[in-house]
Parts: sequence; C-alpha cells; structure tokens
Amino acid sequence: MKDIIDVIIDRKSIRRYKPDPVPDEMIDKILEAARWAPTGENYQPWRFIVIRDQKTRNKIGDLAKVGSGSRMTAWYCIGHMQKRFEKIKDPEKRAEVLRFMYSGEVSEFSKQAPVVIAVLGDLQVGAVDVPYDLSAATENMLLEAHSLGLGACWVHGPVATSRDAIKFKKILGIPTGMNAYKVICYVAIGWPREQRKHPRPKYPLKDLVYWEMFGNKERP
Amino acid sequence: MDRTEYFNDLMARMEELFYHELSDCACWKTEFVGVDFIQSREIRGRTPQEIIECCIKEITAAGLVKDISYSLGGRGILLYVRVQGCMHLSKEAKLKERGIKIYNCPIINMILDQLIEKLNFETTYVAEIECDFVNNACLIKSAIYESKDKIGNVCDWSDECRLIDEENKWITVEC
Repeated sequence: MKDIIDVIIDRKSIRRYKPDPVPDEMIDKILEAARWAPTGENYQPWRFIVIRDQKTRNKIGDLAKVGSGSRMTAWYCIGHMQKRFEKIKDPEKRAEVLRFMYSGEVSEFSKQAPVVIAVLGDLQVGAVDVPYDLSAATENMLLEAHSLGLGACWVHGPVATSRDAIKFKKILGIPTGMNAYKVICYVAIGWPREQRKHPRPKYPLKDLVYWEMFGNKERP
Repeated sequence: MDRTEYFNDLMARMEELFYHELSDCACWKTEFVGVDFIQSREIRGRTPQEIIECCIKEITAAGLVKDISYSLGGRGILLYVRVQGCMHLSKEAKLKERGIKIYNCPIINMILDQLIEKLNFETTYVAEIECDFVNNACLIKSAIYESKDKIGNVCDWSDECRLIDEENKWITVEC
C-alpha cells in the first residue's frame, strides 16, 4: 500500500483545468473520502452539493472574483499586497501577478473546473465545531482527488464575508438563515492543466514543533 | 451602573472570543453588526454623498457618536471616515489592551450597509480602522464598489489620506 504521506506531500492546489469531464465514479470516490472524515460525536454535519452546470459555476466564479477582488484591491491601496509579493524581483512580473490578484481573476476558476463541490454543514443536527468537521472532510476530498490524478482547490473566497455567504447560498438554493447551514468552502475539481511546481517552500519541522511543553525545541 | 460601559464590555468579550476563533477572518464576518439600527431609520438619497450624510445625521442624532466627517476619493472607491466621540470607543480600547486587532466598527458597518441597500452597491470592504484614544477619534478607510468594474481601481491611499488631512478636505455634516 502506498504511504499516504506521498499523496499529502505531492498534492498542490490546482486552479487550471482541462475541459474534460470527471467520471461519476471519481466524484463518488471523492465524496466517499469526505464521508469518512473524523467528526465530533459522529454527528456528520456535512452536506455536499455537486455542481456541473456551467451557468451555476459561472455565478460562483463571478461571486468569488468580486469577493477576492474587492478585498485585494483595498489591500493593494493600503500597501499590503505589495509587501506580500515583494519577493518577486522582476517588476513587470510582479505587477502582472498583483493585477491578477486585485482584479479578482485569481478566484474565478470555478468557471473552468468541470466539477465544483460546495461543502456545507447542517447546524441543526446537534453538531459540534462544524467548521472543523467540514475542514477534515474537505482535506480528505483534496487528497482523494489528487490520488486519482485529478487537480483540486479548496476555495473559501466566495463565502468569506457574511454577505457573500448569503449570496452563495442563494445561488444554490441553500436556506440563508444563520441557524440553518454554514458553507465553509467549495472544492473545484478537474484534470490539471498546469505544471506542478514542487516542493513549495515549507517551514522545517524544527521551527514548528515543541516537545512536552510550549517553546521547548529540544527533543528529549 | 454605566450601561454603555456594560454593553461595551460584553461586545469586547464577544469580539475577543470571535477573534480567537477566526483570527483575521473575524472582520469578514461582522459586517451586519450595527445594521439593525440604521435599517430602522429612514435613510434616503440618490448619491453616495446623500446616503452617507443621511446616515451620519441619524447616527449623531441618536447620540451614538459626537461627530462624523468623511471624504471620498481613491478613484471612486475610497471612503475615508473620521469618527469623533464614539460610544463604542471603550470597547476598542479594551480590545487593544488585550492585544486584539480592532476589526469591528458598527458605525462604518451602518454606512456601508446603506450604500448597498439603498444604492445597490456591488460590495464594500473595511480596509483599516485606527483608533486614537487620546483624542477620542477613529479613522476608517473603506473600499466602496458601486459596480463590479470598480474592482481593481487601485491607487495609493496613504497619499490620498495624507492630502485629505493636510488640505482639510473633510466634509463635515451639520446635524
């Protein structure tokens, strides 16, 4: 059996997809992986909406574009975005990357992804810590998609603000009351159309791990 | 008992707990805080200026703040607001004491809500809240997007805001 660590390390967020359809069996396996995620008290609050309709994906893409673009435009205007991307030395490349971000185009890709799966939690099933359960389910979906050779991306943008979350719910016919369902993200899925740049820089474990007590970096 | 302090204590605790749960995302979730008050008032206007000034009159008349002035700029998307003598300032002071970034201004939420509700603005975003506890004032920079095509209209707000201050381009609403 392949060690799961290989799938975890090899996975990357994919935002560009080929138009080829994703077979139903693969979608089912991705949903099955989500269903087996850990969940407090076995409440299983997650619900999933599988979206393949182009018009619906366009609406979600437009909402994501406005959400990300409105925030990033403001961040650029107060100077935060420039600091975030100062590592890109080529000024033309940096300007293009920044424009891609603050225009919101960075988050528009649900329009191209053949499948989008909205991840929502039922707040009335006696659930505890719904976002944590849903996050675990989402990670399982990403890993299963990757292990099948698909590309996927966890997208929070269109449900990040309270107003946008309501707009997102309206697109999909989800009850909009704050007491009913919480949407934490959608997962865009398709056959990857971009090169994987791996490994992305990650902090070494020695900077992240303490032993026995907070702050103690020495392994006993 | 000072009821304002009591409610500000409650709000500060709620915002502290909310920040602990959501970190910097907390500010994205609080945009409806304050809208009940402003939605209960008759806010009318055909332009952003008219809506903003109508909101300011209602907010000051209710005694929620002593004074609000504002300026518009930033290629049509910057709303720069100066709030003087806000009843929620002690809430912000408590958060600052506890090392929590100030992220939820009910007063600006009210104004942004009415731009969306009355003028059908596409969206808004509170970019920066600065509190000056010595002078009992807050400076708030928000992005207001009348339509989708306004997104991406970038410029340097620090320059714009410096000029507004230096040349006193603040618009003060007589209430």
